[in-house]
Amino acid sequence: MDIQSLAYAVTQIIHNFGAVTVVGGSVVAVVWHESIVRRKLSRLVLAGWIVQALSGTTFGAISYYYYAQFPDLLGIAVVALIVKVVCATLGVALATVQLTGLFSEAALRFSWLAMCFLGVLALSSAAILRWFS
Amino acid sequence: MRYLSLPVILFACLVAPMAMAADSNIEISSPVNGAKLDAMEQNKIEYNVTLGSGADHIHVYVDGQETALLRQMKGSYTMETLSPGSHDVCIKIVNKNHTPIGVERCIKVEVE
Repeated sequence: MDIQSLAYAVTQIIHNFGAVTVVGGSVVAVVWHESIVRRKLSRLVLAGWIVQALSGTTFGAISYYYYAQFPDLLGIAVVALIVKVVCATLGVALATVQLTGLFSEAALRFSWLAMCFLGVLALSSAAILRWFS
Repeated sequence: MRYLSLPVILFACLVAPMAMAADSNIEISSPVNGAKLDAMEQNKIEYNVTLGSGADHIHVYVDGQETALLRQMKGSYTMETLSPGSHDVCIKIVNKNHTPIGVERCIKVEVE
């Protein structure tokens, strides 16, 4: 078995489940108003964004390990990558603030909507990054 | 014997990418290395690529800058207008993660 392909594939699986977690968890939190459930979802989505960031970094690390260089990206793909990094950073920040309990009900609802938007934006950027690099 | 096989397998896995890259090949049929090109004309690069294991598509570079991603393995690519002077045009084979796998073909052209 080709270990390199296996490494990419495992990382992709983890990355994909991270994406499902951040988008799915946020959507559920928008429609589910129970505070206990939302708090659990904040933890889940926070973990999802961290997984996204780590697995995304791992793609680059695997390339560097095998070829001593990072992927070559065209201009539009670089923009997509930056958008993904910004989404993950904001996602982690929002989920962390949610867990501190500082948000009012209105702010909390808005933050979940923002989290949905960030998840969808990151997923869309991933497609551009994949096919336009 | 069982204990000896583990390092052998690990070593084989680590050197496998180098062996796979050797299956890949790039030919640039036009322009030839050192060719003189007209700055006012559309200049095409004609290529023929063989993808080995682990290879997925190719990237085109002009003076070290990536200018295109191509998934067609045989054909031509019209380069952006080149300024007068000497330019390096390269084709590199990359994997699915867009990382060059170490197989590349470069030519130098003189634009007048």
